Amino acid sequence: MQAGTQSKEKSGWAWQKSLPLLGVSMGILLIIGPFMAGLVRSLLLWVADDPQVSLANYAWLFTDRRIQTAAINSLICGTGAMSISLVLGTSLAWIVSRTNVPGREIFKTLNLIPFFFSPYVGAIGWIFLVAPYSGLMQTTTATLFGGPVEGPNIYSLAGVIWILSLFYTPYVYLFVISPLQRMDAAFEDAARVHGAGFWTTVRLITLPLLQPGLLSAALIVFVTSAGLFDVPLALTATKGIRTMPTEVFALVRYPSDLGRAAAFGIFITAVTVALTLWQRAHLAKRRYEIVSGKGYKPRVIELRRSGKIIALTIEIIFLLTSVVLPVLALILVALSPLWTGKFNPANATLANFNYVLFEYSLTRQAIMNSLFLAVTGATIGVMISGLQSYYLVRVRSVFKSFVDALLALPLGIPGIVLSLFFLIFAIRTPLYGTLAILLIAYIARFFPFATRTITAMLSAIHPELEESARANGASWGQTMRMILLPLLRPALIAAWIMLFIIFIRELGASILLYASGTETISIAMLLLSENSVGYVAALALIQLVLLLIGFSLFRLTRAPVVQ
Amino acid sequence: MQGQGQPESFVTISGVTKKFGDFTALDALSFSVREGGTLALLGPSGCGKTTMLRCLAGLETPESGFISIAGKVVFDSAKGINLNPEERGLGVVFQSYAVWPHMSVVENVEFPLRVRGISKEERRARAMEILEIVGLGQYAQRSATQLSGGQQQRVALARALVHKPALVLFDEALSNLDAALREHMRLELKALQDKLGFTALYVTHDQGEALGLAETIILMNAGRIDTSGLARDVFMNHRTSFAALFFGLNVIEADKLPGMTGTKFIGFQREHAHLSSVTDSAAQNGDLIVPGRIATRSFQGLVDEYAIDLAEGVSIRVLDGQGQFSPGDQVHVRIKAGNLFRLND
Repeated sequence: MQAGTQSKEKSGWAWQKSLPLLGVSMGILLIIGPFMAGLVRSLLLWVADDPQVSLANYAWLFTDRRIQTAAINSLICGTGAMSISLVLGTSLAWIVSRTNVPGREIFKTLNLIPFFFSPYVGAIGWIFLVAPYSGLMQTTTATLFGGPVEGPNIYSLAGVIWILSLFYTPYVYLFVISPLQRMDAAFEDAARVHGAGFWTTVRLITLPLLQPGLLSAALIVFVTSAGLFDVPLALTATKGIRTMPTEVFALVRYPSDLGRAAAFGIFITAVTVALTLWQRAHLAKRRYEIVSGKGYKPRVIELRRSGKIIALTIEIIFLLTSVVLPVLALILVALSPLWTGKFNPANATLANFNYVLFEYSLTRQAIMNSLFLAVTGATIGVMISGLQSYYLVRVRSVFKSFVDALLALPLGIPGIVLSLFFLIFAIRTPLYGTLAILLIAYIARFFPFATRTITAMLSAIHPELEESARANGASWGQTMRMILLPLLRPALIAAWIMLFIIFIRELGASILLYASGTETISIAMLLLSENSVGYVAALALIQLVLLLIGFSLFRLTRAPVVQ
Repeated sequence: MQGQGQPESFVTISGVTKKFGDFTALDALSFSVREGGTLALLGPSGCGKTTMLRCLAGLETPESGFISIAGKVVFDSAKGINLNPEERGLGVVFQSYAVWPHMSVVENVEFPLRVRGISKEERRARAMEILEIVGLGQYAQRSATQLSGGQQQRVALARALVHKPALVLFDEALSNLDAALREHMRLELKALQDKLGFTALYVTHDQGEALGLAETIILMNAGRIDTSGLARDVFMNHRTSFAALFFGLNVIEADKLPGMTGTKFIGFQREHAHLSSVTDSAAQNGDLIVPGRIATRSFQGLVDEYAIDLAEGVSIRVLDGQGQFSPGDQVHVRIKAGNLFRLND
């Protein structure tokens, strides 16, 4: 009897110790494994059939003009998108959190939609909208005012920046809106009563107080836009303008040189990691509390008539350009049997949807694959992330802050770089060309999003809730099952949906790893983009519907989008 | 009529009404403060005192009324005048201090001078001068986040005084400090006010703070003035049951007490009740004598606090230093005629 209880306790103890460590080690393996593969490959050079250790790939990297051009282009895209989304995101957050603009509660939700949409689909929608001479805007203008209209050139770095800005504005918005809403109003009031006007207060008090959030958002937007593969691929790759991620793709494909590609990937990873660590250190230094708890909520600013009109205009233009117009263009293209730049309602048909959903084996398979990857990936990802969160919040360990920093690294590493490393890792194994390698790459790239969501909620659950269950005789397993998991359920669901959404639209992490039979929705859109725009538009809309369902479910969990 | 007030009136508030939806926070409030004077708006939370301060500062806009500060009309609903907060030239010490965490101590303090376009040398000199006065000279270069609550409070005070405002507003300025520090700051604030001679308006729920800092007190209840006058008078002479209860007196309906007629309520201080086990021989005509039973006794240092049940479900609290009664004892409670307050509402 005595011995029985003891061994039961012992096994419970073993689970309590080993399960969280399992989650952490899987996470570390998913990061270190491909990175090591990439690092080793970057140092190898085949002379005849003999591999030799060499720095030649790196030497080439720092002298090649193509790489320099790609780096500069990425820098331009990252900086441009960062600047525009900082201004736009902060303005939108300020408008809905601080002013009495009509419909502010609805706008608070609507502003988040682009965050869940796919930038790739956005880029495709915008091509249909403003492609030179053949975009909807051009053809409409030509019909109304005559003459062929060229319009703005969407196939340019400016076009890339435009799309990236629209889709990353919600990142800034999310980072800024919470401090804007919760900040002690006395900080701003104190400036006003001591002689500062409205704009002086914004400049000297509000913006500096928002600086930690702005800095985090700026870095994420910069790193993500500079590393995003989809948009430059859709807009500039065919015009010979390459950014770093499309250059990585080119190095793997035309002609294939995995050694040089790996060296480039390692370089990009190093820069990203350095930036992330610098930001962590910088933020740790200047983390101050702006929510005093003793103060009061910021006042709502009563806009004058002109102010209301300006605020509403900004809101509506943002929602039109990021969501309504591109989606409208996609719908018109998808409903047309043959897209000529003009929509003829008389010919409208659902044939494209029918073909893509039921008849064309490539797209049918791609939809099934994406759903399988999203559901399985989100489930496994949430399990691993849940265990990691338990380790990060509940387990006492001296390695905690190191593990925390390590597990957050994939957040900044471009998807295509990670998938390059996985390609190198798997190319000579049976894994290559399977859905499994896509699944592993997806989880490796995106589990930190889930870990952050779950960790935030777990930190808010007082350990005494579990301790009192233990004190009342529950084993660790019972406590997990009956106390912690039910309490944590909203965060687990939110994290699952978040991963589902990301996996449904993912392109960068898939592009180097798919094979015939393992195409995803985004890959199928890419493959069809040259000649079957009707199918592409239909596929894009099917993807958007899946994302929209995810977004609605996510709002129902009431989980905050960023931590 | 409006705006003239009494001849020496420096701050004039006249008929100020402020509503939040259906809730009337300020109900046609009028009062004035003389130049160099100190006034405390005292009352429980929700009585409108902080709203009044925010209306004075320009942080809230009243529905109607008139406010002038140092001869300048800052708000007049009849004429459509409503100056921005920055145009009113005030100093304010906020309850949460609102010391900006992204600035050093001296940067915080020189802010009012900086936005007034005063040269860097001059504003630095003036900020240092006032920091010396509040005893923070050696902390000038520190980040504001490295300061204790009491030190932050001094920074907020220095910032409110550095531009020599005509009127300084204090919103629960001392209530976030611990008891010992609060007492210390109260004395310092008093000395500072005597030295610099600014006109001060304190908003507080703490009677000790109000009595110690202000020469005149306005006790507020539900957006109106309940009692106002010199601090000593407001504290010593109670005319309303609200004031008596607020200052911690026992308040009993008069018809539940023997021989108390011609008034609605009777109030008396807890210290003024005398307890005895036999009929008190020192009783004089007009004294209130009432039998009761000790319910609880709690040790309060030099005295014991008793809860005593009288007839008709009335319970009173009494402070007594004799220490001779136990729960269950029957006692006679006597309050001298001169210590009884007759309260009419």
